[in-house]
This record gives sequence, C-alpha cells and structure tokens, in this order.
Amino acid sequence: MKNFIKKFESYAFVSPLLVFVALFVLIPIIGSIWTSMFRDVTFLKMKFIFLDNYGDLLRDEGFWKSLRFTLLFIAVTVPLELIIGTAFAVVLDLKIPFRGLLRACVLVPWAIPSAISAKIWELVYNYSYGLANYILLSTGLSEAPVNWIGTDIGAFTTVVVADVWKTAPFVALLVLAGLQSVPSDLRLQAKIDRANFVQTFFLITLPLLKPVLLVSLLFRTIDSLRVFDVIYVLTHGGPGGATTSVSLYAYKYFLGGDFGYGSAISVLLFLVAFVMSVFYIKVSKFQDNL
Amino acid sequence: MNEEKIKNLLIVLTACFMVLFSLFPFVYMVLTSINVAPDFLAKGWNLTLENYKNVLGVESLHFLDYLKNSIIISFISSVVTVFIASLAAYAITRLEMKGKIFVLLFVLGISMFPQVSMIGYLFKIMVYFGFINAYPALIFPYIAWILPLSLWILVSYFSQIPRELDKAATIDGCSKFQILFKVLFPVALPGIFSTALLSFIFAFNEFIFALILTTDYHSRTIPVGIALFEGLHGQVPWGQIMAASTVTMLPILALTLIFQRHIVGGLTKGAVKG
Repeated sequence: MKNFIKKFESYAFVSPLLVFVALFVLIPIIGSIWTSMFRDVTFLKMKFIFLDNYGDLLRDEGFWKSLRFTLLFIAVTVPLELIIGTAFAVVLDLKIPFRGLLRACVLVPWAIPSAISAKIWELVYNYSYGLANYILLSTGLSEAPVNWIGTDIGAFTTVVVADVWKTAPFVALLVLAGLQSVPSDLRLQAKIDRANFVQTFFLITLPLLKPVLLVSLLFRTIDSLRVFDVIYVLTHGGPGGATTSVSLYAYKYFLGGDFGYGSAISVLLFLVAFVMSVFYIKVSKFQDNL
Repeated sequence: MNEEKIKNLLIVLTACFMVLFSLFPFVYMVLTSINVAPDFLAKGWNLTLENYKNVLGVESLHFLDYLKNSIIISFISSVVTVFIASLAAYAITRLEMKGKIFVLLFVLGISMFPQVSMIGYLFKIMVYFGFINAYPALIFPYIAWILPLSLWILVSYFSQIPRELDKAATIDGCSKFQILFKVLFPVALPGIFSTALLSFIFAFNEFIFALILTTDYHSRTIPVGIALFEGLHGQVPWGQIMAASTVTMLPILALTLIFQRHIVGGLTKGAVKG
C-alpha cells in the first residue's frame, strides 16, 4: 500500500502538466485530424467525406506553391542563420570588453514580438520613403527605387532578411553555449602548435561544434516549417501568393470558414513536423543527458 | 604580431557589425515615431511628440488596452506555467517514477508541433466554452504551449541541486510539498526566475493564437494590435505604429538588458543539450 502511494504520488505531481498539454495541444491536434475528414464549411451541413479533402489538396496548385515557398524559405534562411550565428558566437566567446553588453544587444531582436519587427521591416522596405530605397538611391547603387514588397523576388528577400535578423542571434546563443563547452586546452594546444586563428577555428573548433550545429539546424528547420507571423505582417503572403507559407495557406482557409480543408492542410504540415521532431530527438541524444 | 593585428581588427569589425545589425531597425523605429511624416529621410526632419500623445491618449486607438491585455495574460500564463512545471520537474528529478524519459521526450516533441495544426479545433473549443475574445481563450493554450520549455529548463536546474538537501529536509520531517517550496525553490530561485521571464516573453510575443482567438480590444494582445493597427486618419499611420512599438519595446528592452545573463542561461539550458 505504501508503495502504491509512493508510485501514485510522482504521477500526481506530473499530472497537472499532462492535463494541460492533453487538453490544449493533443485534443486540438486530434480534433484537427478528425475535422479534416469532413466537409466542414460555415453555413453548410457537416458531411463525412473521409479523405476527399486530402485528394483535393494533392490537386491544389495553391497548396503546392505554398509548400515550394516554405521549403525554399527554409533552404535559404537556415544556412544563413547558422553562418551568421556561428560568426557572432565566436566573437561573443572571446574575452573582449563590453562582452555582456554585446550579448544583450544580440538578444534584443529575438526578445521583441515578431509582429513589431515585421512592421519595422515593412517600413524599411517601403517603396516611396523606406530606409532601404533611401540608402540605395542616395549611394547611387540603384537609379530607381526598388519595388521590394510588390515583386516576387523582392518580397522573398524581405521575409528572408526579417527572419534571419530575428533568429540568427538565437542561433548565436546556442552555438555560444556549445563553444563554451569546447575544452579550452585543446585550443591552447593549437595555439602552441602555431596554428593561426582561422586554422584553429576550422580544424579544432568547428568539428567539435558539429553536434550543436546539427541540433541548431534541425531546431531551426522545424521552426521555419511553421513560419507565420513575419510573413503575415510583412507581405500578407503576397504578391499573388508568392510568399504564402503552408501555415498561412491553412490560416486563410480557416479565416474563410472552411475548417475541413484548412485542417487537412494543417494535418499534413503536422505530419512533416512530427517526423522531423522524432528525428531531432533521436539526433540530439537528449536521453544521454537526463 | 601582424596576424594578431588583423585578428583584432576582424573582431572589432564583427562586433560593430553585430551591434549595427541588431539595433539599426530600432533606431529607425524611434526616429519615425518622433517625426511628423515617415518620409523624413529624404525631406528633412520635423520633430513632434504628437504620435506618442495619440497612442497614449486617444482612447479609440486602444493601444493601452492591448498593452494591458498582453501584460495580464502573459503574467498569469507565466506564473501558472512555472508553478505546474516545477511540480513536474520535482517529480522527474527527485521522485521514483517510471516513464520519466517518456514524459520529457513527449513534451519536447509536442513543443515542435506547428500552432496552425491546433488553431482550427482550438477555435471550436473556445467557441463552445464561450471564451472567444476573453482572457481564458489565450491563457489556457499559452500555458500548455510554454510548459514543455519551462519543464526542460527547470529539470536541468533542479538536477544540479544536491540531493543531500532533500534528505536532510526529509529527516527533519518535511513533506514533499515543503521540500519543493521551502528547500528547492529558494535554492533554485535564479533558475525559476529565468524560466518565468522566458515564459513571459514567449506569451507576450505569441501571435497566431491571439490573432484567431480574440476579436477586439477586450482581449486582443499587443502584437496583433500593432499588426492590425489602423490609426486615426486612413493612410498607414507609421508614426503612431512606431510610437506604439517603441512604448511596447521599452519594458522588454529593460528586462533583456538587466536580466541578459538569466535569459541566456535559461534559453541554452532549454534548447541545447547536445
């Protein structure tokens, strides 16, 4: 009996957490999977159609377009974030004056709401009086103002810059934590062996950072897969759907009252994220650290 | 010697670039907020505080309502999250329990789910309970959504506290709750504080739930309020938007600068264990 209470006790401590997660994460997900098998449009009668929404989805050019955009977005932003983040981390790791202040500066883009930073970027890229065109025109780099948000390539560039700006600092902090666990005597040894700064970095530091970089890569990929805020505010997915991510595409169906189809899109996105998360957990070897 | 010089130059340049890279949008934001029109770059400055007066004074803009909603919702979410997560972290680090690893990996996996996969059904749940456009519509999902991160950070803080402390307390006749709140909590205070701070920032910045589950200033939070800001006079009111952004940023900026060490510690504990 005493054993039973002891066993029961530990689960009682964990249960509020599990209840919350079950009610507000698991049930909505299962509900979305369920809804995705219905014709569930506001003002129409609910009708069970099993996998018809998914069939429509496979033939939906708009969906494929949003998927292509999302993958391209990941392929461009994640490597940029890793490179810039690693460069920042290397500097933050050095014993230089104002190190704490520097670290705080880098933290600011990450800490403020993306809706606010996306608004600032929208103004930066404004056609008539934005900072970007002002710099291009006044330095003579371009003779006419660039239409940033109104063209496919321009809009893509703006969302990439806004996203990299926000998340590269975050990557920098992750890599910094990794750097600080690299034994310093290894680097000292390299210095004694007369390896220069660049050699030390590429031959000693980078290989040791591989696990952290891999984790950051996966983490950022999963996070970019669900990109929404920045795009919603900055380009609204435009022009003509050129920067519509899968999340935004699903949202537009929810907004239009088509819950069945919107859910089907979101379930597909969920499945991709789920597979990647399993992979992430496997690779990160979280278990070893428990 | 020469190489040393190049290296130092490189470091200084990168450091300057980092500061510029991180902060120039905010300088631009503040400048826009104190100018009459957003075309001040080409046409010359024309300073004013009108934008701040409007944002803080004109009730129909509802800026202060959004800010109040955001602060209340984020604060409650953060406190409840840390409380629930510390109970769980205590059980996982201190009590005998089968499936500890399962719980940890399960919540980690859950934190990776796209929010858009939940909003459709979450909306229906909130309509059913009549929570749409009320605080609970955001507080409940926020707690569930931030719990995984809080749990991971707290587990790593708790597991650094020597177990001898609990043993001594048990011998002194403390109950499990007393051990958690009177022995572990004070020792783990920095960790608990950074967890609460991070939870607050996450809730404060959240966008997509707030976009869908609120409809007006009664519960709309600041990120959505600023994204959908319409202003007083028709055309995009850049000056007012930037004034509102500046006011919103100040508390976050202050928290980030003052508690930079805590935030970095918490973040890296939660995200990278590799």
